[in-house]
Amino acid sequence: MILFYRALLLLYPRAFRRRYQGELRAVFLSIRRESRYSGGVGRLRFLRDIVADTCATAGRQRGRQGRAAFDRLFVTGRPALPAATKRTEMDTFAQDVRYALRYFTRRPGFAAVAVLSFALAIGGNTAIYGILDGFVFNPFPYPQPDRFVAIGVTFPRLSSDTTYIEALSPPEYLEIRSSRSFGQIGAFDLGNRNVSGGDVPERVFTALLLDDLFPVVGMTPALGRGFTAEELAPGGPPAAIISHRLWQSRFGGDPAILSRAIRIGGSSTSVVGVMPQGLVLLGTDLWIPWGGDAVGFPMNRRQFNVIARLAPGATLALANAELAAIADRIDQSHRAEFAEYEGWKLVATPWAAALFQDARPAAYLLLGAVGLVLLVACANLANLFLARSTTRHRELAVRLALGAGRWRIARHLLTESLLLALAGACGGLLLAYLAFMGAGALIPQQVQVLGMQASFSGRVLAWSVGLALASGLLVALLPAVQATRTDPHDSLKADARAGGGRGGRLRQALVVAEIALSVVLLLGAGLLMRSMVNIQRVDPGYEPDGVITMRLTLPGEKYKGEAVSAFFDALLERIEAIPGVRSASAASQFPPMGAFETQFSVQGPGTPTDTLPTALITVATPRHFETLGTPLQSGRGFDASDRLNAPPVAVVNQAFAARYFRGVEPLGQRIEIEAGGRRRPATVVGIVRDSRNAGATQPVRPEIHVPARQTPAWNQLFLLVRSDAAPASVLSSVRQAIVSLDPEQPVYMIQTLREAIALSSFQQRVSATLLGIFALVALVLAAIGIYGVMSYAVSARTQEIGVRLALGAQRGTVLWLVIRQVLVLAAIGVTIGVAILIGAGRTLEQMLYGVRPVDPLTIVAVSGLLAGVALLAAWVPASKASRIDPIDALRYE
Amino acid sequence: MQRRKALSLPVLHIMLALADGPRHGYAIKLEVEARTRGVIRLGPGTLYEAIRRLEDGELIEQAPAEPDSEPANGQEAQRRYYRLTSLGWRTLQDEVRQLGEVVNAARANPRLRKGLA
Repeated sequence: MILFYRALLLLYPRAFRRRYQGELRAVFLSIRRESRYSGGVGRLRFLRDIVADTCATAGRQRGRQGRAAFDRLFVTGRPALPAATKRTEMDTFAQDVRYALRYFTRRPGFAAVAVLSFALAIGGNTAIYGILDGFVFNPFPYPQPDRFVAIGVTFPRLSSDTTYIEALSPPEYLEIRSSRSFGQIGAFDLGNRNVSGGDVPERVFTALLLDDLFPVVGMTPALGRGFTAEELAPGGPPAAIISHRLWQSRFGGDPAILSRAIRIGGSSTSVVGVMPQGLVLLGTDLWIPWGGDAVGFPMNRRQFNVIARLAPGATLALANAELAAIADRIDQSHRAEFAEYEGWKLVATPWAAALFQDARPAAYLLLGAVGLVLLVACANLANLFLARSTTRHRELAVRLALGAGRWRIARHLLTESLLLALAGACGGLLLAYLAFMGAGALIPQQVQVLGMQASFSGRVLAWSVGLALASGLLVALLPAVQATRTDPHDSLKADARAGGGRGGRLRQALVVAEIALSVVLLLGAGLLMRSMVNIQRVDPGYEPDGVITMRLTLPGEKYKGEAVSAFFDALLERIEAIPGVRSASAASQFPPMGAFETQFSVQGPGTPTDTLPTALITVATPRHFETLGTPLQSGRGFDASDRLNAPPVAVVNQAFAARYFRGVEPLGQRIEIEAGGRRRPATVVGIVRDSRNAGATQPVRPEIHVPARQTPAWNQLFLLVRSDAAPASVLSSVRQAIVSLDPEQPVYMIQTLREAIALSSFQQRVSATLLGIFALVALVLAAIGIYGVMSYAVSARTQEIGVRLALGAQRGTVLWLVIRQVLVLAAIGVTIGVAILIGAGRTLEQMLYGVRPVDPLTIVAVSGLLAGVALLAAWVPASKASRIDPIDALRYE
Repeated sequence: MQRRKALSLPVLHIMLALADGPRHGYAIKLEVEARTRGVIRLGPGTLYEAIRRLEDGELIEQAPAEPDSEPANGQEAQRRYYRLTSLGWRTLQDEVRQLGEVVNAARANPRLRKGLA
């Protein structure tokens, strides 16, 4: 407790604290030992007295300090007054605080309910904001994050979205580098490298640097140094910089790492630096110079990420204007050779916004939804305050009659609710802390690798305090306005019960608002849940059950040309020999990921000419279609005869055939596939059934499969194993099979096909779940509001109901009287809520799948649910009203 | 004598408590509580706020610790003792005299006399 008091002492001006803090603490300890303050209740009383005493005197001391400073500055020749008895703003505030604290200890139930409501609502908001801030809005600790941009590219002729990852080729980068808008600029390719030496080899996600990245990011190594120009130049001495994470996990945080050489992909490389913990770049842990020659590189081999930092004085708009000019220039000079340049666009976007462009709509939706919950909670609390101010009516009237200013009374009410809101915010921070811990468990491994986390940053704290202040003001607004409108003459004259009538309308309006907001949330949650159900019902076009997948990268130094396909052939043979395994294959990608695409050309009629033809390109081994469970529709799959020197073949999907071979027999057609800056011909030998190859909810994309043996350059493939055995036992057998071939090759990205599908709809699932929770909370709050208002209405109408009953009204009629009122409120609320959702439907549309924003079924279900809950909440007061004894009611004067 | 604002009630009681001799903060608080039969309970903040005002006005000053008072613990031993200054004595006498006049004036009213006993 003394620690708490020490913290409280911080409220005093420093001079006062320095002078008396030892004394204050001594007296504090002595007082605590007084018998008056023993026991649990005594301790609470002690706490209250101490807080009130400290707040009040600290307020006065601060006011005094301010006045003294003012006098010293402006009132020359007059010494600071030692004693001041004039009431200052701070005095008034301190008095209000003291008065409020006293009131709360007298009404602990009221204070507890209010603080708890604030805590839940503010805590929920803080948690959601904190998580979104940590993962979507400000996920990276780079200095001046708004000036750190990614350069993205859009090709209208390829009808592609703007991409930032693996978006540009080295020659394109060189053009962009000439721009004057960027102070630092760098480009990197992504890849996997096996780090070995010592014990087991480890696959490390690696960035291959075309220019130094670290000045762009704005961070310097925590240990060692950055790259030298010599190391970055083609053919320079091999050097590597590693992440803090890799340094800890692989090298045990050994500072001697700088004098050691490690083996990367089989060749010895010296580690020149270790980056600090905060540096996170697309989940990479190893940074090495790319070492290639940018000038001679094919213009259309776009596999580099370009990042830049705006030059001092440059703005994003300026940079984008310059990028547009560069894009135009390249279009002019290279369109003849590369048709996709026609109308292409280069755009700079702040890094976090570029990476999380897909997550932003959902993020704003969740933030808005949890904000609505806060509004419902505020409406509920305003209701509680109004109910209380009716019972406090006389007290306020007396104060007004005794000459208290109306503003003074309003201010007092504001102080009360602000204190409750701030106390609630403290509880809310605790709640948010728990939520941050829980978020770690909810977020899939693949996202966690990126190294982001939710934590209490200054922004999150400011958000929470800001919400507390805003909601505190909001809650007190109506009661304060009402209090200042009180006419002391009327109030003191009239009976206490009759005096409360005017609050009734206001409170009903608040309940209507609560219902409307709850309806908005319920409708939103209902729509998202229906979308989820629709997503789960989608036929993926393949058989996802019983398939486990993992990735394997063969180092280019060790496996060249046909050695790659020889390795995979031998491996698949061993895997298929494992008991329980039905089939196995290797492929560059598998549905639903759809990562690799290519340009190609077809000879023949019916080819659309508005956009250049693009399709997904998948490298696969013969049994791939069998392992996935996508049957061939016609022709043949790959077999052992499709060797490197045999005629090149391809298998396309139904979507491809329908789009590019309209009205012709696809089998036997020739296509030319763009690969590494060249066009390679292939003959279509088979058509495979469509599968959801670009995400579970995306339309099927045209897809070309080519045999792995004819494309040995792909040394990074996924293994897919279909089996009847448990995934864990299959995995260990597969690992043994790999070790028996080459003990240095690790597997990674291990997941079942089901998990891969779940991951691709992760965002929708989280949104639907959270929105469902918010809607439920709002519904419960609204029910409490309805109950409160109806109970109050019934008690205010006791006499009237008594008279009705005495005059012969049936109990059923009385019941209906109350129920009808509730139904009217609910009907108004539902109508407003539905109207709001229809108005906001457009923003929701892009998050829905297979359901329209205005969905009659959802609306009917939600209205029914709300009416049910409203009736339930009103049932107790209504039946109480019907059981009123007319004699008691009339005597109750 | 120059016009001076009346001392506030807690301040007056603190000075009265010190009129018996030097005391430390908590002893002042206990004395005031006893004198007012628990009506005035000084919290640490209120107490030292008043002490600061009195010290700044040079009405009280720190005194060396009472040699005969046995310190209960280490903290007790470090406590500051306060005593009235000569200005403090004069101010207190003035104040008490003025209050006496107020009381005398009140006694003249028969309807108030009962309450004053």
